[in-house]
Amino acid sequence: MPRPPSHRNLEKNPPGGSFSARAVPWANVGTAVDHRFQVSLRGVIDLLSHHLYSSPGVYLRELLQNATDAIRARQHLEPEHKGTVRLELVEKQDGGPPTLVFSDDGVGLTEEEIHRFLATIGESSKREALEDRRKDFIGQFGIGLLSCFMVCDELLLVTRSARGDGRTLEWRGRHDGTYAVQVSEHPLERPGTQVFLVARADMVEWFAPERLRQLGRHYGGLLPFPIQLTIGAEQERLDLDGAPWRRDYESAGERRKAMLEYGREVFETDFIDCIPLRSQAGDVDGVAFVLPASPHFNSKQKHRVYLKHMLLSESAENLLPEWAFFVKCVVNANALRPTASRESFYEDGALAQAREALGHGLRKYLVDLAHEDPRALQRLIGLHGLSIKALALDDDDFYRLVIGWLPFETSLGVTTLAEYRRAYPVVRFAATLDGFRQVARVAGAQGLCIINAAYTHDAALLEKLPHVVEGAQVEPFSAADLPQSFEELSMDERDAVFPLSRMAEQVLAPFHCGVVVKKFFPAEVPTLYSADEEGSFRRDAERARDESDDLYASVLEGVMAAAGGEPAQLCFNLHNPVVRRLAAVTDRTLMKLSVEMLYVQALLLGQHPLNAQEMTLLNQGLLGLISAQLGTGGSGGGENDGGVGSGGLH
Amino acid sequence: MAGDWREEAQALWDRAGKQKSSESKVKLLEEAVRMADSHGDVDLGYQLRDDLIDAATFGGYPDKALVAFAWCRGQQKKDPERFEPEGLLWKQKWVVGRIKEFPHISRKQITDALDDIEQCFTKVDAGKRSALKLRYQTARDMGDDAAEVDRLWAAWLAAPRDHLTDCRACELDDELDHHVEQGEWEQALRKAKPILEGRVRCAEIPHLTLGTLLYPLFKLGELERAAEMHRRGYGLTSKNRDFLATMGDHIEFLALTGNLARGLALLEKHLEWTLDHGSFNDRFVFLVAATFLLERVKAAGDRDVVSLRLTKAFPEHRADGGYEVKALHAWMLKQARDIATRFDTRNGTDRYARRLARIQRLAEEVREFPLD
Repeated sequence: MPRPPSHRNLEKNPPGGSFSARAVPWANVGTAVDHRFQVSLRGVIDLLSHHLYSSPGVYLRELLQNATDAIRARQHLEPEHKGTVRLELVEKQDGGPPTLVFSDDGVGLTEEEIHRFLATIGESSKREALEDRRKDFIGQFGIGLLSCFMVCDELLLVTRSARGDGRTLEWRGRHDGTYAVQVSEHPLERPGTQVFLVARADMVEWFAPERLRQLGRHYGGLLPFPIQLTIGAEQERLDLDGAPWRRDYESAGERRKAMLEYGREVFETDFIDCIPLRSQAGDVDGVAFVLPASPHFNSKQKHRVYLKHMLLSESAENLLPEWAFFVKCVVNANALRPTASRESFYEDGALAQAREALGHGLRKYLVDLAHEDPRALQRLIGLHGLSIKALALDDDDFYRLVIGWLPFETSLGVTTLAEYRRAYPVVRFAATLDGFRQVARVAGAQGLCIINAAYTHDAALLEKLPHVVEGAQVEPFSAADLPQSFEELSMDERDAVFPLSRMAEQVLAPFHCGVVVKKFFPAEVPTLYSADEEGSFRRDAERARDESDDLYASVLEGVMAAAGGEPAQLCFNLHNPVVRRLAAVTDRTLMKLSVEMLYVQALLLGQHPLNAQEMTLLNQGLLGLISAQLGTGGSGGGENDGGVGSGGLH
Repeated sequence: MAGDWREEAQALWDRAGKQKSSESKVKLLEEAVRMADSHGDVDLGYQLRDDLIDAATFGGYPDKALVAFAWCRGQQKKDPERFEPEGLLWKQKWVVGRIKEFPHISRKQITDALDDIEQCFTKVDAGKRSALKLRYQTARDMGDDAAEVDRLWAAWLAAPRDHLTDCRACELDDELDHHVEQGEWEQALRKAKPILEGRVRCAEIPHLTLGTLLYPLFKLGELERAAEMHRRGYGLTSKNRDFLATMGDHIEFLALTGNLARGLALLEKHLEWTLDHGSFNDRFVFLVAATFLLERVKAAGDRDVVSLRLTKAFPEHRADGGYEVKALHAWMLKQARDIATRFDTRNGTDRYARRLARIQRLAEEVREFPLD
């Protein structure tokens, strides 16, 4: 084995050697006759470290990638070849920077190939060009080697090709772009490549034993050949001896335990279950882990993916169907294409098919749970309802299977759809929170149970019910529907409230609000205000117009003119004592004031913010009522102020 | 109840924060805004609307984005110290960019809004490129004089980028629209390369691009590639009503290639968005494609009635799901025509009538390419 180079060695022997090498930049390389552009190696290294690589630690990934490619190439020639990668850390006794010797027993390089990779480097001054070069073995080799200059100033490469003449060649390169190539005085016994990296003083941390161990495991843990780390007399293996999910286990329980342990190691999370993954398209396999809590963001999970057993990314997003955000996974793909940034896979047909296949695996897991362990599925629904709802929305068979178990919030508490349907023949839901709020209180008193379907997927899921489940009845419900279930007035009552309803219609017309009078419970509620979605939007637009400048106020006028929808409605409750007394009031001014105040109160109770006009109503109305009271001597609003059972209309 | 309204509003806000732009996110934020307004909390109302503008813009509610923006803008003008103007400038682009898509907003108001955004940008000495792009797109989409549109196109591309310029992906995608409009299919595909290779991307790119390029690819006879883009693109866009017009692109492609059953499946699924979408332009694009599709179904001649699960909100909804092709076609065409008339009357041009007439040309270009 050649001795590692020292600083002194390289400095004393300026570049130049037995063949072809001259002390020139990369560009005018070797025996090539054609002229090449001069390139600043500094510039290329700078580009690599600032734009292509996220951290200097990537140098180890690149070395592993090169070794992997070389071993694969050798296996092509010698199918029985197993391959081994060795990392040896040589620490200096005098405290000088350590050296890493990185060796593989792959195919090695011929002289011609050495020149080719040097030439490649010379051409690689653009990111796109770099990416292109990566596609061939030699190009990747050169670029990979370049990344080592992020952590050291000089490199020695010793290589013997399995295809060559048996000579061992040496290439010494420096970060300033000078290099030398020569026949080595310390020939290698077998084909393979060794790279000697002398740590740069400010990068010593990237050579620390613990760091090497961690980087080696991180990038190469799944590689299908041994990776030996030697530090002093200590030897250890950094690879996991193949992917854990491909091993044989004594029992299903053992497998599960081992997988969850592996999941904990990778993601530092205690997962609740694991699911095997497999897709022929893209040649993908791996394992998915079920998250122990519903994810913070209903965004995509970040998965750890390996490409041909080398770590590609820890944040791949586009591997699973959108609904499957209840798992995080580790997978290896042999036939998917990475994107330029190497953070995820390129969106092509193969990925779409792989995604579908992996989705099928996850779906099968859920379906099996439904049949074999419904309780576990229910727990899963409790945790990851959103994910399950999203799948049900897209998949009729799955929908049929789980819809009954899905929980919904109703005006009478949370219940599953199956329980709901046992108690109520018609599924009624409010599609907005606003709408739900308007009806929840009153609906209960009518014996109606309304589902709050304002949350993600709920309304769409319920609307789907009659299409999938025969005979199911589903109706959207809003405050405007409530008065239909209210009791109608008798003829006498109609006559008695006529002046009130006429007055109310006049008063509320400018507010785009109609009037009805009915009888409903609870009796304490004097009025019920209802507006459909367009109505609420119109109110939002009115407030914005009140607040905005001339330009946008005029634009909003246009928007409101086009807004459709039904007018809002104020329903008076004749069961309410105040309303009964109001209907009998003869003082027109007082009646008008009271209607205005009831209207504003209904808005406030329903949490509808007031527009400028309504605010004026409130302010003037309060003053008006106070002055009316003062005018009658301030005796305090009647005998008992409209308590239950009182009032002037019986 | 009154005491903990803040908590309740915060809970709605948190919940919205966990969602992507969507109908339900918009509703949650609207609800929280109403709470803040009910209690006169202007600061909270402003912050919530700041989020609402984003959610509405990218969730397919340009009208709601406009309303939220107008309110914020009013507050910001009244008290520029409290609500700094820069933050709103970026979003103003989104709002002004779509204002032309509401036919009830007059030409004068549109011009005023464009002048206004230019002034706002000039005040911070930036945004020239963005303002020019808005002018170009508005002029193009309103069918203005071709020489003027060309002048604005050139001026936009010549203007320098700055911090108010849209991201590379969006700008590139906007450029593609121009080439497609001009019938420059190859150029559109060449320029789209970085997007298609995944080198530039953003929240809406390549989603939109994959729809835009269907017709150019169809014209170039690259049907296999088009089919691939249809599959990829539809998957990316089918869950968000912001992509209503893109659904039109996909339906048109399916009709052009004789994939009528697939086309009807898309029509069935997305008609709902068309019924109440804020952008009448996007409604129009969808309706035109749907009209063309139904024309193909009629031409196929093998059925008078199709079974569709259309939304109950559809005015001609039938509980039994059986729809007469002729009647359905007539309905789509009438809606499209009405919108075209409204736009053309407002714009004083005939661009929408011409876009509607394009259906006849498409009918001659049909080329079977079964996807199943």
